Amino acid sequence: MTQLPPARADTTEAFLAEAGPRLADLCTACGACFKACPMVDHLGLRGSDAEAATAGLRLLATGAAAPAETVKWVAACAKSGLCVSACPERAAGLDAMLLVRIARQRAINDTKQVSIKPDPALFPRVKIFARLQLTDEELGKWL
Amino acid sequence: MAVADNRITFWFGCNMLRHAEMIRLSIMLLERAGYDVSAAGGPSYCCGTTFDNQLHAASTMAARTVASFNAAAESEGRGTVVTWCPSCHMHMSDIMAPGNAAAFDITHITELLADNVDRLAPLLQVPVKRRVLLHRHAGFAATHVPVNDRVAALLGRIAGLELAEGPAVPAHMCSSLVPVPGALAAAAEATWAAARAAKCDTVCTIFHSCHRELSALEGRDGLQVRNWVQLVAEAMGVEASDAYRGWRNGGAPDIAAIERADPEKYKRLIEPELRRPPPLPPVARG
Repeated sequence: MTQLPPARADTTEAFLAEAGPRLADLCTACGACFKACPMVDHLGLRGSDAEAATAGLRLLATGAAAPAETVKWVAACAKSGLCVSACPERAAGLDAMLLVRIARQRAINDTKQVSIKPDPALFPRVKIFARLQLTDEELGKWL
Repeated sequence: MAVADNRITFWFGCNMLRHAEMIRLSIMLLERAGYDVSAAGGPSYCCGTTFDNQLHAASTMAARTVASFNAAAESEGRGTVVTWCPSCHMHMSDIMAPGNAAAFDITHITELLADNVDRLAPLLQVPVKRRVLLHRHAGFAATHVPVNDRVAALLGRIAGLELAEGPAVPAHMCSSLVPVPGALAAAAEATWAAARAAKCDTVCTIFHSCHRELSALEGRDGLQVRNWVQLVAEAMGVEASDAYRGWRNGGAPDIAAIERADPEKYKRLIEPELRRPPPLPPVARG
């Protein structure tokens, strides 16, 4: 059972705006999360400066532009979660995966360093899959 | 179990709608474990996790979904939301709840069923003679719910089923590997290599997106692809058909179903997904 945390803000948008700088303040840019990330290998970044990459993570989380290596890294976050246990500031309240997630959002929306192509067919597609398989009763009750 | 405790909302997410049989089997397992289940999913219950480029819209979706679950908790006593999708679960605990007061707790379906395995065990009467490689991911299990252990605990109660160790591949599920060049193929190959080495006949998926990707490899190296709910159902003697797996391997929905769904949208939105290449290239034949 996961007991959900109490609300810290009135909306998720407000929470994310508050959490980015707060988590960035906890981060010491030690590079441990970058080193633990399995995506680094797939991206050809294994030889990169981990401390510089995580200094960029702190920048992005506050809405400032980051070096290319950081941007490439956060854009590829696959939520392996290995960064969370690798982070030496975890006990202080730093959720490294959430920090990376927020940095990615900032790189998309604020610094415009990541371009993602929205999929306008996401919902229409799942609705068609539903209509292919669900009964009228299931469609009415579940969706 | 008190009545007030057994009323749950089963939140299956959006993309599980590709796998209607797995939703039905999940509900059946929860009911057989003693729960009164109200199922909810699809766009009206979106968590917003895929809308990182539209934070305001995602925030609105999250608020709507939390409000719906709060209403179910308050009016129907459904104070527990049971998740299927690890993205939904993580998004609820890490982002949705901190931004919206939630009147419920969450638990993952594997966690709840593993906690109630003694209720299910007497129903597992049919031996399932399979040697199974569990397709595990490192993510979610390490940070939120030990889902790999929970599924292994459930499968471990099935007579005849042998479970083999395999690698925990990166990501929380396969869909998040798709955008990273080579990552999905590497995860699929690691899983298949482990299954071959352990002389398995079945690869067992835990999540829907893994099932979506790996079911296109059905039959490769003699391996069948089954989800854990299908294996548990098989042990209960319950038919566990899998339309999506059939469609992904050259089949197609019944024409009446396509007519009902909308033929133009089927051709434009569904066929390209069903006909895309599998995550591993075809085996070269000498």
